Amino acid sequence: MSLPTDSLDELDRRRERARAMGGADKLARRRAAGQLNAEERLALLVDAGTFRESGLLGESSVFEADRGRTPRDGKIVGFGRIDGRDCGIVVNDFTVKGSSTSATNSKKMGHVRRTAIECGMPFVHIGESTGARMPDTMGSRGMGNLLGNDPHQFRRVRDNPWAAAALDTAFGSSAWMCCCSDFAVMRKGSIMAVSSPRLVSMAIGEKVDLEALGGWRLHAETTGLIDCVVDSDAEAMAAIRRFLSYMPSHNGELPPESPQPAPAGDDQSTLPGLLPEKRTQVYDMRRLLRVMVDRDSLFELKPRFGKSAVVALARLGGRVVGIIANNPAAAGGALTVDAIRKIVDFTVLCDSFNIPMVRFMDTPGFVVGLEAERRGAPGLIMNFMNATSLVTVPTITVLVRKAYGRAYVAMGGGRNNDEMIAWPTAEVSFMDPGASTHIVHGVSPGDPGWEEAFTHIARDSEVWDMASMYSVQNVVKPQETRDYLIGMLDVYRRRRRGGIGEHLMRTWPTSY
Amino acid sequence: MPIIEVTSEITGNVWKIVARPGERLEEEAPIVILESMKMEIPVTAPEAGVLLEVCVLEGSTCSEGAVVARMEV
Repeated sequence: MSLPTDSLDELDRRRERARAMGGADKLARRRAAGQLNAEERLALLVDAGTFRESGLLGESSVFEADRGRTPRDGKIVGFGRIDGRDCGIVVNDFTVKGSSTSATNSKKMGHVRRTAIECGMPFVHIGESTGARMPDTMGSRGMGNLLGNDPHQFRRVRDNPWAAAALDTAFGSSAWMCCCSDFAVMRKGSIMAVSSPRLVSMAIGEKVDLEALGGWRLHAETTGLIDCVVDSDAEAMAAIRRFLSYMPSHNGELPPESPQPAPAGDDQSTLPGLLPEKRTQVYDMRRLLRVMVDRDSLFELKPRFGKSAVVALARLGGRVVGIIANNPAAAGGALTVDAIRKIVDFTVLCDSFNIPMVRFMDTPGFVVGLEAERRGAPGLIMNFMNATSLVTVPTITVLVRKAYGRAYVAMGGGRNNDEMIAWPTAEVSFMDPGASTHIVHGVSPGDPGWEEAFTHIARDSEVWDMASMYSVQNVVKPQETRDYLIGMLDVYRRRRRGGIGEHLMRTWPTSY
Repeated sequence: MPIIEVTSEITGNVWKIVARPGERLEEEAPIVILESMKMEIPVTAPEAGVLLEVCVLEGSTCSEGAVVARMEV
């Protein structure tokens, strides 16, 4: 007994045709243009030899003319390992009908996404696509076949981490997946938008160029929809691997620990020298953070958006932490509307995936003024407050320098933390001493009595009174902070729940 | 080479202009320094490039989101 060889040969023939993707000519054109193809991107993403493909023989079945002409139906999907951990993976193959979304490839994507959620592994989407497939999706037959048949397609309850890339042309599903993922990377030169300039022009008569419609600057600096911008596909895959190295496979486990105790970023005794002498001068908070966390572990998200705040994944003593910090180098550390959006987004990420948080505070307050009000600052500030109050993972707040008013509370001041500590440089009040001297005493700089009144109010803002009433738990030198945080984050581990948070924000929006 | 606009993240008074048109700037190099929130706050180059023009005057007020300078990057 043996299987008929013609059926085995037929399988081989079909496999070979599927693996040829959109054909030698299209692949050669990509190569000539310096673009990687889907197989090459996949190889850079997963551990070598670990990918198990699902749906190799899937193809379009809507029109007879497409039969046999849509290898894998334009999407390579399956399961592979990243740093030894299983992940559900979709890689778009633009050489097959622009990797447009179709009836068959929707089923392929849905299967991998559902499996990743139900079996507890990260989901990764490498996007390059044109949007819904035409004419497949036309008319009531097309709509009945395609859109809306997967009610959970964009349902995020953060059971597992999602990461996505926007490479080259990212319209339709590639844009949607970046926006509903926990991490999105974009390569310079790519475009991410709802639809193409041609369609925009047809729909509203507006002529726009690609970069203005959805280039990297727009998303990195203005919309905040992209977490990380890179120069190459290889860097994009490395960024996704790096992001996932900080994440648990699902929300029922802790983030992975480094096996070895990790060294500090630098000599802690350099920290005091990184603060400026005058309180009116600014500095780059990221320099302090890099010294305090484990060497080379600071992974900043959205660095070009809402720059007066820094949000970053990092490790302290080998354990993953989420860092939220004000950065005086931009807008003096004042919390702008974009900085608030960025912090809230990151707070949801950390709390949903059991990542303890450390906040470093140096802010003169929320930005005030016409522009902030026009953009809905009061609503966003309350969103920020609500997020801060819903956090259930361990949190420690460090008062570095300025801690004023409502911003102090939103940034985790008062009892909005497990513990609050201060550096001796901390100053805490409802308002900056200069402004409060003017309001309380009715004097301005240069007026008789200004110097005395200002000195008195500034002295009252020093942290010693707060320490004496145990409203900060300790005053700590900068150079002692790293060891202190490592020790206290261990104390505040949620032992009763195995370190797992309550995930009260798991259904919060995926962009703000 | 694309031309980008450098905008202020905060409303303030222009205290000092510290870079000159034609100057090559590194990313995060200061272009002007604002006085705002009782602090000296730099507006910096978002990318490395050549400063084409500074669009504000010393002593003037600059609004949040206003174009402070243009650069070729």
